[in-house]
Order: sequence, then structure tokens, then C-alpha cells
Amino acid sequence: MDKIVHYFFNFGLLADYWPDILRGFALTVEMSALTVLIGVPLGLALALARAYGVRPLNWLIVFYIDFFRSIPQLVLIVLAYFALPSLGLVMSPVAATVGALAMVLSAFAEEIFWAGLTAAPKGQWEAGRSTGLGFTQTLIWIILPQAVRMSIPPLTNRAIGISKGTTLGSVVAAPELLNVTSSIQSNVANPTALMAGALLFLALFLPFVRFTRWLERAVAHPRS
Amino acid sequence: MSVTQKPPLVAVEGLRKSFGQVEVLRGVDFTVEEGQAVALVGSSGSGKSTCLRCINRLEEATGGSIRLDGVETTGPKVDLNDLRRHIGMVFQGINLYPHMTALGNVALALRKVVGLSKAEAAKKAMHHLHLVGLAHKGDAYPAQLSGGQQQRVGIARAMALEPRVMLFDEPTSALDPELVGEVLNVMTRTREMGMTMIVVTHEMGFAREVADKVIFMEHGEVLAQGTPHEILVAPDNPRIRDFVQRSRG
Repeated sequence: MDKIVHYFFNFGLLADYWPDILRGFALTVEMSALTVLIGVPLGLALALARAYGVRPLNWLIVFYIDFFRSIPQLVLIVLAYFALPSLGLVMSPVAATVGALAMVLSAFAEEIFWAGLTAAPKGQWEAGRSTGLGFTQTLIWIILPQAVRMSIPPLTNRAIGISKGTTLGSVVAAPELLNVTSSIQSNVANPTALMAGALLFLALFLPFVRFTRWLERAVAHPRS
Repeated sequence: MSVTQKPPLVAVEGLRKSFGQVEVLRGVDFTVEEGQAVALVGSSGSGKSTCLRCINRLEEATGGSIRLDGVETTGPKVDLNDLRRHIGMVFQGINLYPHMTALGNVALALRKVVGLSKAEAAKKAMHHLHLVGLAHKGDAYPAQLSGGQQQRVGIARAMALEPRVMLFDEPTSALDPELVGEVLNVMTRTREMGMTMIVVTHEMGFAREVADKVIFMEHGEVLAQGTPHEILVAPDNPRIRDFVQRSRG
């Protein structure tokens, strides 16, 4: 028991490192938020564009989403950081990580929104169009709100899953929480730093998960 | 025969519609005068609903002509949204927007199509909910309403745009029998307000009492048309006589 406390909960050792840990934590929060704030709207925009059924555009969209859903996030981050500079695009580790994760999230988000848009009954379209609303008006005011409601549970799942991929940024030396805490672990030869990291990840994602549960209930429209 | 200057409000001529190889309408002709209520009857699959849906172009006719107020409505140059704004439609499936209140359902097109302000649209929507007897249900969502109430909101949604003609596509077919009456009552009142109506229906009692003209369709053609008495009470045609007898159950 003493050993467990010594190795995993020896917070005294971390006294000097707390500022670094908190900086890492702040960066993780920032990267997660950016990934969601870029990825979800981009996915929505792609799904809406796809709804217009312009053939060549839809081929591009489908290729984009299939590509980013298939490629491992880690590979994408490494490519973004190490390969894109040869094409003249140099990014910071944080930008490369967020960019790669946001692309992946946008691909999954597009599929989720698209499923929601196509799930709306044909009669909803007909009702809207029969009152003189145009295609775009019907899409925005009638179909989209119903699609968004349906999309929230699967979307929050994906958003959380992919946001946790910010830890992959450690491979390109983004000083996020996992990177910081694992360096400290090596320095002090004690895994308590990782424990602290784990607890901070929980402190970030548990409220996020709870929030999405609340959101799912809040947007459900009243049933009889 | 008096010669009228005015063309019929709706004139359907030689209307044809095919879905792939299947010919659903094979040359349908009829006219609807302003203020008339016309019932389209016939067995399932006779093309009644397709015919109705061609009028507001939810289906595109493959041949023939449809004129509203003497103006051709088929063809690529017609402004579809403007056309549909003047043709109200009530659906068998009701199709209320589930995420909006009854008032929101009626007000949406008033705001987005007619361009009324939020307050004006709400006022007008409330007036039309009142006309269908649902002024007290403005804040209710569709799922909180009975089927009959939902369909009355559906009627208010179409009527609020003050259309030239109302299309009813089997408006009571999806309802429990005890809810049919309230919807037919609202339709009768709509008729009494002078609204021009084309009603696809299996409610023979309603067609007999409310329609000025009954059109009997079979296999994508008009088999006979005339007064409710001619078609539904004392039909000459043995096919129609058979249908009417079976419809009485």
C-alpha cells in the first residue's frame, strides 16, 4: 500500500512542476476546444453542401470524408508536421495536431449530419416546399433542426473520442498534458506525474460528457 | 350557355404522368371554377393523388397542360415557389414540422415566404388557428396534439397563405375513425368561406354533401364527372355503381 502511494500519489515530488502541468492542461483544453469548434462546423458545412446534390462536388466531398475517416489520426498528424513543410506549409506542432484532428472530426461529423439530413421524411420536404419555401429555406428551417437533434448523441461521442486524440500531439512535441506529464515522469523517475495527468484529463472530459448528456435532453422536442 | 370571359381557375388538359414504364395518368381532363369544391374519387391506384400532386408540381407531369387562372403552370420557366405559395396543400401524412409549435408551423411560411414580421405572422397564424378551432393549442407541439388536431393545424398552415386553391390529398385517411369528423367539419367550413378546393377522398358522404362536382378516376383516366348525384347517387356506369356500393360498406 505504501508503495502504491509512493509511486502513484507522491504529489510532493511534483511541487516544482505544477506550473508546467497546468500549462500542458491549458493547452490540451485549448486544442480539444479548437478541434471541436473547427471540425463540427466544417462537417456541417460539408453535409449541407452535399444536400444540393451537385455531382462533381459530392464526389469530392465523399472522397474527402472517406479519406479522413480511413487514415489513422497519428499518421495524419505526423504527415501534417513532417511532410507538409516540403510542400511549403510549415505548422507548429499544435497547429498540425489540431488541423489533423479537426479534419478527421469534420469527416465523421459530415457523415453524422448527412445521415440526419437524409433521415428526415420526404413529407417534411413536401410540406415545406408546398407552402412556397425554397430548397434552401426548407433545408435550413425544417430539415436541419430535425437533423441536428438526431445528430447530437453520435456527434458528441465522436467529438469526445477525437478530442482525446490531442494526446497524439506528443509525437510531434506539442507540449500538451500527456507530453508534459510523461517528461516529468522521466525526470523524477516516478509515475505520479502521469497520475496527475490522468486526473486532469478526467477533470476535463467528465464534465464534457455530462454536458453533452444534458444537451441531448435539452434539445429533445416534447413528446406527448 | 353563357359565355364567360373568365377562364376556369384550374384547367387540367390531357395530363399524363409516367413513373418509368408505368403510366399513372393517361390523359386527364377537368376544370375547376373559382369557388367550386371538386372531389376526386376512385379506387386506390387510379391516379387521383398523382393528379393532385401534379397541380402544385410535387410531381412533374410528363405531358399535357395545367393552367391556373389561365396561366400555364408546367414548363421550366415557372417560378415554382411563387406557384406553390398560391396553391395550398393538405397531406394524408399531415407532415407538421415536429420541432415547431402549432403556431410556428402556421407562421413559418408567413415569415419566410410572405415576408411578414414575427409579430404579424404570429397574429395571422393565430387567426387561422382560431378558424380551425385550435386557438388554445398555439403553443402545443405536434406530438402533443391528436391526429385530428394535427390535421386541422395542417389546414390552417395552408390556408394562412390565402391560396387561390386548396388541394386536399386524402386528408382523413390516416386518422382514427372518431377523429375524421372534426377534420371534415373544418373542410366544410373552408368550403363555406368560398375557398376553391380539390379533394382526393374516400369519404363518399363528404363528397356527396360538400362537392359541387365529382370526378371519378380509374386507371389514370377520368371515367365520368358530374354532380354528386350523377356520380355517387345514381351512376349510369356499372363500374361506378359497383364502387359506390362497395364504398358504402
